[in-house]
Amino acid sequence: MTKTEQQPKRSMAEWVTFSIASFILAIVVSLVGYTWLNEKNQPPILSVTKKETIREIDGQFYVPFEVVNSGGDTAESVQIMAELLIDGKVTETGEQQIDFLSSGESEEGAFIFSKNPRQGQLNLRVGSYKLP
Amino acid sequence: MPTKRQKNVWRSEINDIIRGACGGFLFGIPLLYTMEVWWIGSLAKPQLMMMAIALMFVVVYLLNQIEGFRKRRYTGLAHQAAMDTVEAIAIGLACSTFVLLLLRELTPETSLRESLGKIIFESVPFALGVALANQLLGDIENSNAEGQATNSITKNKGGELNATFADLGATLIGATVIAFNIAPTDEIPMLAAATSAPWELAMIAASLLISYGIVFQAGFSDQQKRRQQKGIFQRPSSETIMSYLVSLLAGAFMLWFFQKLTFSDPWTMWLDHTLILGLPATIGGAAGRLAI
Repeated sequence: MTKTEQQPKRSMAEWVTFSIASFILAIVVSLVGYTWLNEKNQPPILSVTKKETIREIDGQFYVPFEVVNSGGDTAESVQIMAELLIDGKVTETGEQQIDFLSSGESEEGAFIFSKNPRQGQLNLRVGSYKLP
Repeated sequence: MPTKRQKNVWRSEINDIIRGACGGFLFGIPLLYTMEVWWIGSLAKPQLMMMAIALMFVVVYLLNQIEGFRKRRYTGLAHQAAMDTVEAIAIGLACSTFVLLLLRELTPETSLRESLGKIIFESVPFALGVALANQLLGDIENSNAEGQATNSITKNKGGELNATFADLGATLIGATVIAFNIAPTDEIPMLAAATSAPWELAMIAASLLISYGIVFQAGFSDQQKRRQQKGIFQRPSSETIMSYLVSLLAGAFMLWFFQKLTFSDPWTMWLDHTLILGLPATIGGAAGRLAI
């Protein structure tokens, strides 16, 4: 196209798609801005909770758990440990590792024991994490 | 005839957008199947995301000044290139969000910051692909004449069967090239673990739609030639389905080749692994058919 030729004007259709496009981009940029302003400069706060039901299948006990990061930063390699104490002695242990847990995220899983956790005391705790 | 002209305007605009999206898919799909990019997105700070958007804007703007995804060019107008850039980025954002949702990498439970990071980092290659759409598969003006010439040659050589085999061969090569790159990685089993039947159906639908879009809608260089191509499966719909099946086959073979799947694995595993690899494979197959 040479410069003497008339530049074609943007058509109606092109204006419509352009406004939709700039709308999408504006939303994304403002959401990023929003998270920037609301950024909590806070280390991860991790908690693990037992879920209500323990399933028993073929003599094995499935104890579901949920781990939540209520802090600001993302935690990596979150280690969750479970100890089953029967008569004051540690009879069984379990370990689980979660790759990534970002702020506000929760992950679920289960520990499997061969003894009934209801007969003793079951301790769940978060063992460690590392910062990415 | 104002109505007809208006219709044409809309049609060409939609075609431009589809062409851009298809270019994005060709260029961006391998990175969408890379977990490291998901992680980088998950961990990215908002400052970094802003920087990614700004850098993406600059690079796509420069590409758009040379050659954009539109057929009609606005030479030498800086603000037109800037507007095209906004559209290219929006197409990239929309398409990468769509695929991330399809792959279950974005779910309603994903936190806002993490989703934003994933979407923005995945949309960078997508937006580049959108801007490169016209260059990815050759020049339009020349190839129409060329295409007709080669088309008459194939006609003379005759043989619906020949054309069909050429098509299937090209699909197989394109699909294998992409599947070869993705099959040995850990992403396929990872994604397969999170998927369920309705998502697999959605994946099939998306694969067919994108494949159809690339070959028959996007108006890439050889589209004219493709539409005239004679073969057993010369109708666009049947060709799309046929090539999808070929791409699935190529994907399954590659998974077996890299020992991601063995014959002792259950058939459901074969099915979901193959369907997940089928999406990039069929995009590669579509590119292969356009390239011959």
